[in-house]
Amino acid sequence: MEVPAEGFVGILGPNGSGKTTLLRVLAGVLRPSRGQVLLDGNDLSRTSRPLLARRMAVVPQETHLAFDYTVMEVVLMGRYPHLRAFEIEGPSDFAIAREALAATGTLALQDRPFGTLSGGEKQRVIIAAALAQISGAAAAGLLLLDEPTVALDLSYQLELAGLLLDLQRRLPIAIAISTHDLNFAASVCRTLVLLKDGEVLAAGATADVLTPALIRDLYGVEADVSRHAASGRLVVIPVRRVGAGPAR
Amino acid sequence: MTPAPLGGRLLKTLPWFAVLAIAAIVGGPLIGSTHISLRRAFDPAIPFADNVDAQIFFVARLPRTLAGALVGSMLACAGVVFQGLLRNPLATPFTLGVSAGAALGAMLAITFGWSFAWIGIPAAPAASFIGSLAAVAVVYALARARHGGMSTNVLLLAGVTMNAFFSALILFVQYFADFAQTYRILRWLMGDLDVSSYQPLVTALPLVVISFAVFAWLARPLNLLSLGTDNAATHGLDVTRAQRAAFISASLATGAAVSVGGPVGFIGIIVPHLVRLMVGSDHRVVLPASALFGAAFLIGCDVVARTAISPVELPVGVITALIGGPFFLWLLVRKS
Amino acid sequence: MKLLTYLVAAVALVTGPSVASRSLISGVDGAAAMAGQPPAPPNRIISLIPPMTETLFAVGAGPQVIAVGSFDNYPPEVEKLQRVGALLDPDVERILSLRPDLVVVYESQTDLRAQLQRAHIPMYVYRHAGLADITTTIRDVGTRVGRAAAATQLAQNIEQRIAAVRKRVAGLPRPSTLVVFEREPLTLRGIYASGGIGFINDMVTAAGGANAFADVKREAVQATTELVLARRPAVIIELRATVAPGEDTRREVATWNALSTLPAVQQGRVYLFSDQRMSIAGPRVGEVVEILGRTIHPEAFAPGH
Repeated sequence: MEVPAEGFVGILGPNGSGKTTLLRVLAGVLRPSRGQVLLDGNDLSRTSRPLLARRMAVVPQETHLAFDYTVMEVVLMGRYPHLRAFEIEGPSDFAIAREALAATGTLALQDRPFGTLSGGEKQRVIIAAALAQISGAAAAGLLLLDEPTVALDLSYQLELAGLLLDLQRRLPIAIAISTHDLNFAASVCRTLVLLKDGEVLAAGATADVLTPALIRDLYGVEADVSRHAASGRLVVIPVRRVGAGPAR
Repeated sequence: MTPAPLGGRLLKTLPWFAVLAIAAIVGGPLIGSTHISLRRAFDPAIPFADNVDAQIFFVARLPRTLAGALVGSMLACAGVVFQGLLRNPLATPFTLGVSAGAALGAMLAITFGWSFAWIGIPAAPAASFIGSLAAVAVVYALARARHGGMSTNVLLLAGVTMNAFFSALILFVQYFADFAQTYRILRWLMGDLDVSSYQPLVTALPLVVISFAVFAWLARPLNLLSLGTDNAATHGLDVTRAQRAAFISASLATGAAVSVGGPVGFIGIIVPHLVRLMVGSDHRVVLPASALFGAAFLIGCDVVARTAISPVELPVGVITALIGGPFFLWLLVRKS
Repeated sequence: MKLLTYLVAAVALVTGPSVASRSLISGVDGAAAMAGQPPAPPNRIISLIPPMTETLFAVGAGPQVIAVGSFDNYPPEVEKLQRVGALLDPDVERILSLRPDLVVVYESQTDLRAQLQRAHIPMYVYRHAGLADITTTIRDVGTRVGRAAAATQLAQNIEQRIAAVRKRVAGLPRPSTLVVFEREPLTLRGIYASGGIGFINDMVTAAGGANAFADVKREAVQATTELVLARRPAVIIELRATVAPGEDTRREVATWNALSTLPAVQQGRVYLFSDQRMSIAGPRVGEVVEILGRTIHPEAFAPGH
């Protein structure tokens, strides 16, 4: 699979298909047992970790802090890969952190203890931290999000979608998300990768890949895929499971 | 509180802790059950062999105060590092079996009358340090057994298992000890800072310096580790290396501290908690502050221990426990 | 509920076993005592207590002793005897299986005493006390095992020896004496010294010394460096029960040189006794008091004095 420089890739697949594993491999946390992962043509396993961290940041599904850090402290941790051994954060790091917080609309929360935030606020802070982490890189950075909509209600899902698209517009970053929310993926991703049993089933532009035939193959579900007139987005409506009786 | 840049925060808070530590180190030798004249103690005209005040100050009290500073700062920092490594604010330097190994070593030396006279060092502290090394080695080997990494869950399990195993061995050795030896072991377990010479401090010094150097390097990695090992890795941290460094340095610091003053409890958990309440959770502030506060705290406890019911002394571990109990109650009540 | 607890505790205290009694005589052969006759001398004696074992042999009851405690090693005859444990770990099964007719036990061994009582085995209950009580105990035990005459003789010998020492040192100034019976080897940590109570303190006093911790009303004092420096003993006597292998006596004595303001160190009056008899409150106390007298007041024992 490929993630283009300013692309927006969605990794889809049922539970157990290997989405999270793939994400961890992409981030360099796991080594692939076969094949290679290349960042700008360089093998990940031969690139130093701090260097990787300056180009790629992961927003995990959940973040549990062992100790009470403030929001600003959490975001500043994103700047650690840019600091030398005993160097401490300078004014530019603070500026980047504030910009990142502002980009995700969480600047007002900077002094709050992280543990006191709501789920949606926490996620936006972590996204800000990830942005701060990949900010300032010479080439485009990559933001990896693992199942970002799992804990969000409808309103926050919309908010997140808007935020991600907005970030993509303004900043030179690529985004890759792993999710099983087909509609969410359809609303934001330009390209999709379908994973089945640890193998790539299909990859390509969203409209080409999100077809009833592939959905049936991937999920074992008969679904209708249509284009929503007002927004122009693809919408997937599951109809029935393969082999089950008529639709309800 | 607007979070000032780290440099500013360090400059604002650490001096206070340093003042506290220096006050304790200077004040400790001034207090004691015997009244001494400072003027006489520092009078260079009086030969040392005739100057009782000087000997009480320089042979009895000063080494003891310095031992308190050493043990207090090492145990406090080790507590911070273990809590960061295990991502649990309730971890202590003794959670992973280091002190049980040290206790077993000391017990064996006391019970079987070991003598290292040929090297010229007292047996019990040396045996206790070797015991702590043995415990560390076993726990480390067990934790590494899984695919070369270092799972903190396995670490915790291995440590708890080691604690249980060494405790059983301790009971077994106890069986061979006579009444006097049992009493000595019991008192060792309660902590004793009366080193009465600078030799144990000088012996421990290289280990102290190395431990503090590693702790300084560990400050940022510990911050990242509190996000979780995967997150720490995606932030560019070599997680396994940081965990190993944390485990080994904190264990060695604990082993050295225990070999000097016995397993003094509660320092490794009270001090980190109090310090975090005062300065926040950034390990780059918490570690130096804990070293300074730990030193002052233990010196203070020792002053109470040796003056509360003078001329008889209480073991310093009793004082730290008497403070530790209510402290935890307060923590519980506060959080709810 | 609380009131009930208080009541139970009060009743227990009042009717508790005669442990509380200060007498050294206890645990008599019940049946014979009730019948009003003196009990027959026991001839299957077990003793768990080193000074009592020594006493039994010293009064001539050695042949009647069938088993001894783990730490008994004097006189040499006890090496051939069976061992049945000691203060903390008496081997009750073995003791019962040997069918003794007298068992010498510590006052604090309440479990063992209860078991022996149930088995109707007579006991002699020993309580560790001061110097004067040693000869009282010897007479007592001697009577108990039918050797009253030998016991009286032994007790008188001891008392005479001690009195002789007292006489020699009478009127001499009493140097402040620190008696250490436990210390970490090669370092001045964990020093346990004799306090103002107990037979060691009494022996020092009889030998013409003044216990440096006479004011502390306990048998043992954990002496910190500061305390020792403050008390400024003129004589330091260290008692070690056994010689540890590889121990260098000179090196151990030299450890005290760190406290160079002590008169004992300045005058070279630090003595280390690796002699097991020095800390046993048994028949050899007479010798021990003499040794202490010679150590503390050598001038009073010089020939021609």
